Amino acid sequence: MTDEQSTDEQFTDAPVSIDPAARLAEIVATFGHFLHRAGVPVTPERSTRFGAAVVVASPEQLDDLYWLGRVTLLTSHDQVEVYDRVFQQVFKGIVDFADFRGDSNAPPPVSSSPSNEKLPTDKDRTGETRSGPKGTSATPGDQASDDDQDEEDPSLLAAMSDEERLAGKEFAACTEEELALIRRLVEQLPLVPPMRIGRRSRRHRSGSRLDFRGTLRRSHRTMGDPVDLIKRKRKQRPRRIVLIADVSGSMEPYARVYLHLMRGAVQALHAEAFVFATRLTRLTRPLKVTQPDLAYRKATTAAPDWSGGTRIGRALHEFIDDFGRRGMARGAVIVIVSDGWEIEDPASVGEAMARLSRLAHRVVWVNPRKASNSYEPLVGGMAAALPYVDTFVPGHSMHALQEVMEAIRSGEKRPPGGRPPGNRVTA
Amino acid sequence: MTMTTLAEQIPDAHALTAGLQAHDYLAEPGLSTALFCAVRLPQPLLLEGEAGVGKTQAAKSLAEMLNTPLIRLQCFEGIDASEALYEWNYPRQLLGIRVAEARGAALAEESLFSREYLIERPLLQALEHPGPNPAVLLIDEIDRADEEFEAFLFEMLAESSVTVPEIGTLRAKVPPVVILTSNRTRDLHDALKRRCLYHWIDYPSLEHAIRIVRLRVPQASPELAAQIAGAVQRLRSLDVQKPPGVAEAIDWVHAASLLGIEALNANAVEQTLGSVLKYREDQDLARAQGLDWVSGD
Repeated sequence: MTDEQSTDEQFTDAPVSIDPAARLAEIVATFGHFLHRAGVPVTPERSTRFGAAVVVASPEQLDDLYWLGRVTLLTSHDQVEVYDRVFQQVFKGIVDFADFRGDSNAPPPVSSSPSNEKLPTDKDRTGETRSGPKGTSATPGDQASDDDQDEEDPSLLAAMSDEERLAGKEFAACTEEELALIRRLVEQLPLVPPMRIGRRSRRHRSGSRLDFRGTLRRSHRTMGDPVDLIKRKRKQRPRRIVLIADVSGSMEPYARVYLHLMRGAVQALHAEAFVFATRLTRLTRPLKVTQPDLAYRKATTAAPDWSGGTRIGRALHEFIDDFGRRGMARGAVIVIVSDGWEIEDPASVGEAMARLSRLAHRVVWVNPRKASNSYEPLVGGMAAALPYVDTFVPGHSMHALQEVMEAIRSGEKRPPGGRPPGNRVTA
Repeated sequence: MTMTTLAEQIPDAHALTAGLQAHDYLAEPGLSTALFCAVRLPQPLLLEGEAGVGKTQAAKSLAEMLNTPLIRLQCFEGIDASEALYEWNYPRQLLGIRVAEARGAALAEESLFSREYLIERPLLQALEHPGPNPAVLLIDEIDRADEEFEAFLFEMLAESSVTVPEIGTLRAKVPPVVILTSNRTRDLHDALKRRCLYHWIDYPSLEHAIRIVRLRVPQASPELAAQIAGAVQRLRSLDVQKPPGVAEAIDWVHAASLLGIEALNANAVEQTLGSVLKYREDQDLARAQGLDWVSGD
């Protein structure tokens, strides 16, 4: 990488200052600049803070300086590797930083792909030029948006007839052009989030809780007698939605469509998005800022052996351990898009699903293979998962997508009695 | 004047490490540097790490060391200003009106919205702390609060002041040391992260874990502490649902020494496994691996 070399050269060529305070601002700014270029978003504000910390602490050893920089310049744990690499370049070769990180075998070389790095816009994307971050009409409850778009967008009008034609067509049978159109339509589907009762309240005539503040204020009108009782009612809030899609080889035509659905959900409903083939990748952030096709590429390159099969159980366990258990899955509607083809032990899918169903409010499983009449969930992974699924839908075509949306929105839960005891519960 | 005393008390991160150790907390250099910057710059500090690595304890020990109160705000969904900052004591105001009426005394509205009717919640308590050392304000599990609440925190974090409409802007006499913790269930707002220092607390190394356990549970024998620290590390290497942290190791040593266990063996592990593994699946996994393996025999 040419960047690294220029880094070294500039620093070795620069005259070594005898008084570090005189060059502090310069060093701090340059260090921040190198970090920024390596992908850690260091703002001037943070650089200033680093400088202030150095002045306050006047570090005498390099490891003191290392920690001062690390706590003032970074915002996330995954930036540490890049930070270590740049720090080592800038103050190079003097000390091995893996030592203080506690893992002695951690090598510094790392590709500069931090989480918040903005991806370049793709020139050759197909038919999605209009869809910026607001490209989805997925405002909660906004049913009228279709009419508005009919009037102002002739190209969409033409698309509507195509939509009818494509409504029942299986994604897997569509041509590349048709898929491009479908993906665009999917982004414009009106998403309605499932609701739950929140903790905050608002004034309401038939509320059940007395609003002391409001009642007291009102009593000023009646000479201090609390005549009118003001009441409050709990607000409805959208439930968290977590979408987990299988992007392995067998799911390819569907996965690309669902990524667009995910994008709409992430942007409009603050949903969380994950994909997996052999391992799990969080896509929430990329989908917020970039094109789904790029995000798709990112996901598939993250799992280079993606045609090799799917490890659903492992991916779900990974999700629960790293995100779900900490709170992301609690009370959420979890939507899993997968054909249930597990190449490892199907029992691990069952275990993961049992854990997930205990954490989540509802689990929706979308399996495009279900569309076939002869389909029976005999694939090991699917059969193991099914007892823990609240709603099982095909979602293989535009038409079927409506069903998926309805499944996400509705409050239907599998009756608790119908939950078969998991293999571990009976043990 | 306060600043000079703080600077004298904590000239550098090493002094902070020593001070924390005197209050039974062993901080690795990264954490002391982070806390040092939080106190001396001063700047809010965002701490992240697995459950049980000592995020909350760090704030507690810092408060002990500074000899100031620890003011804790546990975040939860839907938390709002009336639970975090202040609330008017409405029943008391109502009562005040009634009493004034009964006496036939005039009651000015300002007096109803004076400080005696104000209930101070944690954020206001922290701002009102008179000093000389700053209070330590622990905003725990900020990721559980809604995004609106994060935005609400900005003013307080940036300016060390809050605005109560009926009274005006209250400025901190001594800005508190603010420590936020997050379990990363959702991404925090960039604007919040921008205002904070950041540190990730890792699981401690074996030697460090042994020292922590011995410091926290001095009545336990050194052998037991070492065995349990090792056993916790082994358990963490299993594919368990909740990897045990330092807090679990300390609980385990407490439980074992309460039962009079001198040295860890399979039998002792069997008796006390519940204090370290809190899922039945995890316990099954440990048993399948062999309790001898866990105890290190």
